Amino acid sequence: MNPDYVALFNALRPETALVLGALAVLGLDMAIDRRRPVGERQRYALWVAAIAIAAAFVPAWHGPRGQVFGSVLVLDHLAVATRLGVLVLTMLTLGVIRAAPVRHPAEYIAVMLFAATGLMLMAAAQQLLLAFLALELASLSLYVITGIGSARPDAAEAALKYFLFGGMAAAFLLFGFSLIYGVTGSIELPVIAAQISVQGTNPILLVALVMVLVAFGFKVAAAPFHLWAPDVYQGAPAPSAALIASASKLAGFALFTRLLWPGFHAASGSAATFAGGPGWLPAVAVVCAASLLLGNFAALAQVNVRRLLAYSAIAHAGAMLLGVMAAGRSGPGPLFYYASTYGLATVGAFGVVTTVAISSRCEKISDLAGLYRRSPFLAATMTVYILSLAGIPPLAGFFGKLMVFSAALQLGGVAGPAGWLALLAIALSAVALYYYLIVVKQVLVADPPANSGPVAAPAATKLALGAAAALIILLGLFPGVILGLFQ
Amino acid sequence: MNALQLCLAFSSLLFAVGLAGALARSNAIIVLLGLELMLNAANINFIAFWRFSPSSAPATGVIFVLFSIAVAAAEAAVGMALVIAIYRHQKTIRLPDATDLKG
Repeated sequence: MNPDYVALFNALRPETALVLGALAVLGLDMAIDRRRPVGERQRYALWVAAIAIAAAFVPAWHGPRGQVFGSVLVLDHLAVATRLGVLVLTMLTLGVIRAAPVRHPAEYIAVMLFAATGLMLMAAAQQLLLAFLALELASLSLYVITGIGSARPDAAEAALKYFLFGGMAAAFLLFGFSLIYGVTGSIELPVIAAQISVQGTNPILLVALVMVLVAFGFKVAAAPFHLWAPDVYQGAPAPSAALIASASKLAGFALFTRLLWPGFHAASGSAATFAGGPGWLPAVAVVCAASLLLGNFAALAQVNVRRLLAYSAIAHAGAMLLGVMAAGRSGPGPLFYYASTYGLATVGAFGVVTTVAISSRCEKISDLAGLYRRSPFLAATMTVYILSLAGIPPLAGFFGKLMVFSAALQLGGVAGPAGWLALLAIALSAVALYYYLIVVKQVLVADPPANSGPVAAPAATKLALGAAAALIILLGLFPGVILGLFQ
Repeated sequence: MNALQLCLAFSSLLFAVGLAGALARSNAIIVLLGLELMLNAANINFIAFWRFSPSSAPATGVIFVLFSIAVAAAEAAVGMALVIAIYRHQKTIRLPDATDLKG
């Protein structure tokens, strides 16, 4: 390999912009008087971060494509789309921060930019070492912003639980990677793929694949590795929870899809029948079914809004795993569309919950009662997000489901296991409609509590929430905009 | 058993010990120790595969281990910070007592 550092720097301009932005946020906070009010420091930090993300957007859109630095990074359709998606979701999360005063604003926002850097590298990594480092950069940053944003004991407990599960997942991932390195003699995905197609599967490789699957099941909150998700979504500061639920999930699925299909496709087993030798598809199918069932049924019992969103996230992770299984045949387009539009709706829902919490408690679903009178704007956007999560046309959530399920049904018709899973997911969408409509009913129909006043949202939050809702509607009307990225 | 198999058996045992410690112990610091053992088991794998394989890429395994030691150190730092944060609130680092969030 002949290292080409100019090309590497050129390809990593978006990440460079984010890191410089994070340092500028910290530097500016040092330069201005730290005894100024927290709100003012937060406003400066948000402006610098927003400029950094906007600066990262241009090279992420126009930057070079193809293999970079040997085959360490690959900037294909999936990588470019995921980087743009991470940037958009992080930008929207900044709008949520405006409504949720965090304790150490500059440090918080800087670490959030580091997390976004890690997520963007995850999207482009094509080598196990870079994949591990990017994943750890993102994870460690996310543990930190779960803990430092709020002085409540809930946040510390959520961060510790997230860290302990995450550390275990990282150890599983590293052990799995070490076995893959041992079996194939390489850490570059193209070489690994070639080696596996020559050698075929062997027991050590299957152990390694299961360990990698455990780690990614944790990262995307799929059952049975979901135990951290409800506690973290409930206890973490809202912007952290929004980022964990949206951008982290999107980048996790992008890296997972890249590892499984271009990397280990020779060890996949048959998608239509699961016959013809062991592979990772049956294991993914089991995790997918478990997530769909557990997520949807456990969500029925929730009274806390954030825990409801967490179990809904687990259910959506199941549907996205269906998209991963189908990605080998129909490409990552449907999966990306589903994951990115799901991220928009989740960031928006967390934003609304946070904004309501400015003026009154917002923990239970019933705390949203009568939102249409207290703030028509918040009620309208929340309705869009929840209906999109439920999959009501013409919102983006519906087309995401439609594309993922039809891609899964094309794998082997309704007779194969993938087809059964698609039918299960469709049936459970009806179950999901029930708990989503409970939220919509509280927002639009129920009377507001007697002592509640109007909710005033900061302008930046309104802008972010409006942008998320508009994107959901527009991407639902014109799904070709995202799918066109994959042509 | 040849040397590679011995190394792999040792690292698997270390991983199992770490996992058991991480899952079964109630003291948060012992759980952190368990996580470190699991990461080190993976590092031993890398070194063993690098030492005993006829692979062409010369130092891949060693470089990977150097990076992962750095990551493990960062992870331990974040973990200890979080343990201190929870100690400030609850005056204990026993995980079974961390039950504010449930449902």
